[in-house]
Parts: sequence; structure tokens; C-alpha cells
Amino acid sequence: MSSMSNQPAWSAQFAQDAIRELEIIGPIRELTREWAWGGSNGEGVRVAVVDSGIDQDHPALEGRVQKGVVVELEGDGLNQTRIEEADPSRDLCGHGTACAGIIHKLAPQAELYSVGVLGRDLTGRAIQFAAGLRWAIENEVDVINLSLSTSRKEYYALFHELTDEAYFKNVVLVSAVNNVPVPSYPSLYSSVISVAASECKDPWTYYYNPFPPVEFGAPGMDIEVCWRDKSTCVVTGNSFAAPHIAGIVALIRSKHPELRPFEIKTVLFACASNIQREGE
Amino acid sequence: MSVYPSQDGELSKQLRQLVQIFKASARTILPTSSQDLLQSIVDAAARLFGAAAASIALVDENHQVLRFEVAHGAGQQDVVGQEISIDAGIAGYVVMTGNPIAVADVRKDPRFAQEFAEKTGYVPGSILAMPLVWNDRVIGVMEVLDKIDAPSFGMQDMELLGIFAHQAAIAIRQSQQVENLGDAILMGIKELCEGSPSLELGEVLTSLSHEVDEDQRAQDLMTLADLLYAFHQFGDSERKLALEVLTAFRDYVRSKQVSL
Repeated sequence: MSSMSNQPAWSAQFAQDAIRELEIIGPIRELTREWAWGGSNGEGVRVAVVDSGIDQDHPALEGRVQKGVVVELEGDGLNQTRIEEADPSRDLCGHGTACAGIIHKLAPQAELYSVGVLGRDLTGRAIQFAAGLRWAIENEVDVINLSLSTSRKEYYALFHELTDEAYFKNVVLVSAVNNVPVPSYPSLYSSVISVAASECKDPWTYYYNPFPPVEFGAPGMDIEVCWRDKSTCVVTGNSFAAPHIAGIVALIRSKHPELRPFEIKTVLFACASNIQREGE
Repeated sequence: MSVYPSQDGELSKQLRQLVQIFKASARTILPTSSQDLLQSIVDAAARLFGAAAASIALVDENHQVLRFEVAHGAGQQDVVGQEISIDAGIAGYVVMTGNPIAVADVRKDPRFAQEFAEKTGYVPGSILAMPLVWNDRVIGVMEVLDKIDAPSFGMQDMELLGIFAHQAAIAIRQSQQVENLGDAILMGIKELCEGSPSLELGEVLTSLSHEVDEDQRAQDLMTLADLLYAFHQFGDSERKLALEVLTAFRDYVRSKQVSL
């Protein structure tokens, strides 16, 4: 795959010595974190975690998981999908629970929805993922956290269509980029908020990258997270950075429900830790 | 080569030669077993990442398990051949999502420690697990364990191992395909027979499947192919000398034949 050598290493742009202070001009400069999410706890915001499932009984989640669904494959060639309710919601490996836990820590009153798109049958990954994403968009959640992606070009159009639909339906997509430098759909589409791991440990510190396609860097290294079977784990990966941003987006949407996805991204940009703001 | 020969015996001979040549040429390019290839990959990975141990497990879709094929370093004797379910723990996460993951201290996860310790007697501290992906399918998991000079594996390790794993997956897949290709040729011939009742190739197939490896000439050809593969591994001057020796031998044999 010759394209691999041309791709940047996504998280290298958020290494401590690579982060650049940025100045912004104009009225956007006046946006502050206090305005954006001060006093918010995520109340009234629905956040879907499209992943391996969420262990809804994990004590760290404090009962905030409202509903769980699972995408199953069916049909002769296992190329069709159906949605099944998962009651109670369970996590196949721990990752979805980890993401939900991070979101919950930042936005404790946000409602969590689990969309399980993984299964033991490994052939249908991309179509299960697309079906789960479609379910979340059609059910009009406010924020979707995605930690999965496909690098197959034949799915480029399908995911582009879905992400456009989300954008126009006022659903914010936050997606972790792939951990290795390959094409990553839908993470790298312009309407999606793409996130890679930075070296910082503070959950409220995140950075804007002036050289996209990866736009934001948030904590994703040696993060203590909840895991399957009510356990905890210390993990590293871009997929743990995305829920940090999803949690902050939930706080913003709770406080300012009128903001559209493009305004949310602007607010995130203006409040990033490497942006010099008015009076600072 | 015509598919409709005047004699079945002639076709049988031609097909046998074709398969022999194919198998021999495959062996000159690739190691005789994919085990050798995988072992060299984990040995290199452990060294490259400064890890105390490394392993590769391949997915067996029929049985829905991951089977450890090769290992390097601590616990290597016991881990090879072990199977774990593809939805189990950290390796299961990697298989199901196609995402890599780094865990700083697996000993803190009581479930992981118990499962692994029972099977191998070795419980790693830090782990970096990387999917081996071919065509968007996860065909296996590569793990590097216990980073020697740091408490855990970081993002740079993950990115580097990802590039490494990408190449490994291609090589693994290619060697699997070559092993299967001989069988695929036989399958193709079988289908040809079944589709064309006028061809009586049942005997041909029987002779192909029984005789290819038993024939002394075929075995000699395989030995020669193995030697040619070994030559690949030589340095430039050794390879040049080998070529000179073989060329001189060929010329000698030809000159003897002419003089007869």
C-alpha cells in the first residue's frame, strides 16, 4: 500500500514538543470555556457509543446507560444486518465500557446509549459498523462516539453519505483516528471531529491541530479506564482520546442546545488548550 | 499444453510436471514453512521494540479461536500451541475491532492474569497488541510484552509496530496462499473434469495426488529448490561463487552429453 508512506503518524502531531500555540483573531477569540460549558453536567444530552457494547452494570457508570442495541449479521452471504435490543447491555471486550466511562466522568448526567457493532464473525465488520452508525443517526442522539474505522476504499462513499446525514441532522460525530497511519473512514472526513492521543493526562486539556486531517488531540496514553466485568485497566490508544472530546461536546450541547455541529467545532477550537484567547 | 490430449497418460505426465515445477518454484522464493517466517518476525519484533517477549497468534475461523503459532522470549516454550477464544480479553478486543491497544499493567486485570498464568506460567506486565490485518479481515494478533526500558508501550511503539505488522500480514497471507495454491490447481482440474464429461481425468487426479511427492525425481527437485532458497540468503560474493560452480557443472554435463 504505497499510500502508507505518505500518511503522517497521527498522534505525533500532539507530542508535547510538537504542540504549537495558536493565535486567533476576530470575535471567536472571545469564546471562553466558562461560556462554553461552565456549570454544565451533560444533562439532557444523548450520547451513543458505537463500539463493542457497554457493560451497563459497571459501577463507574452509575446507571447512566439508558439502552443498548446490537447489530447482527444475517442473510445468505451475511451481508445484511438487523438491530436487536440488548437488555441488559453487555460489552464483548471492555473497550465500549472504557469509552462510556470516560464520557461519564466528564459529563456525569449525559444519557449513554450502547450500539454494539462487533461480533465473533469477523467478515462483516464494516457493514455492521455502518448499520450501527445509521441507527444512532436515525434515533437522533446528540453525540456519537466512534472508535472504529475502516481503511477500505470501497466503503468511502457509504460512510461519507452517513456522516453528511449526521451533520445535516444536527448529530455531532466524534471519531478516533486509526492508531496506525492508514486511511481511516469515517474519521478523516471534514464534518467529523477527528481525535488522536496526546501525551497529556489532564482530562480537560485538549489541543487543536492546525495541520489536519486530525483536528484534535486529547488524553489517550496510560489512561485508567473501566473495563469488562466491572474491572479497570490502564490503556493507551487513539480510541481513548475520542471520548474525552465527546464528553466535552456533551457538556457544550447540554448548556447550548441550539448550537449546530459546525458551531460546536468552532467552540471546541476556540477553547482548545493551545489557543491564545482574549485577555490571556 | 492442450486440455484435450490424444492420450490420458500424456496429459497426466504434463500436469504432474506442471504442479511439480510450481511447487518447486514456490519453495525457492519462500521459506518451506510459514512457521519459519513467523518465528523470524517475532524475533525481530522483540528486538526492535526492546520487549522481553513477543508472540503471534493466528485466527482459526472454523473454531473461533486464536492459536499461538510462535513466541520469543519469556514463556515461549509454553505459549506455542495454546488457544484462546477470539472474544477473550485483550487479544479478543484486537481481533474484533482491528484496533491495536497498549495496556500498562495487565497484572491488575485479574481475569487476564488468571487466564494467561494458567496456560503459560508467565504473566506479563505491559503489553502492546497489534492486529494482523489482510483486506480488512483480522487474520491474527501480534503482541510484544514487557518493554524493557520503560513501564509501558507508547504511541510511537504502536505506530511502528503497525507498519511492521502490516508487512507481516502480507507475508503471512502470501505464504498461506502459496501453500494453498497447489491444492487450488488440483481443485481447478477437478472442476474441469466435472464440467466436461468427455474428459476422463479421474485417473489423472489419482495419479497427481499420490505420485507427486513420492516420485524420486520430484523429491530431488524439491531438495534442489530448498538449496536455491538457501542461496538467496547468502551474501553477494557467496551467491556469485555458487552461480559459477553451478554454471560450470551444467556446462560439464552438457559437454559430456554431446560427446556421447
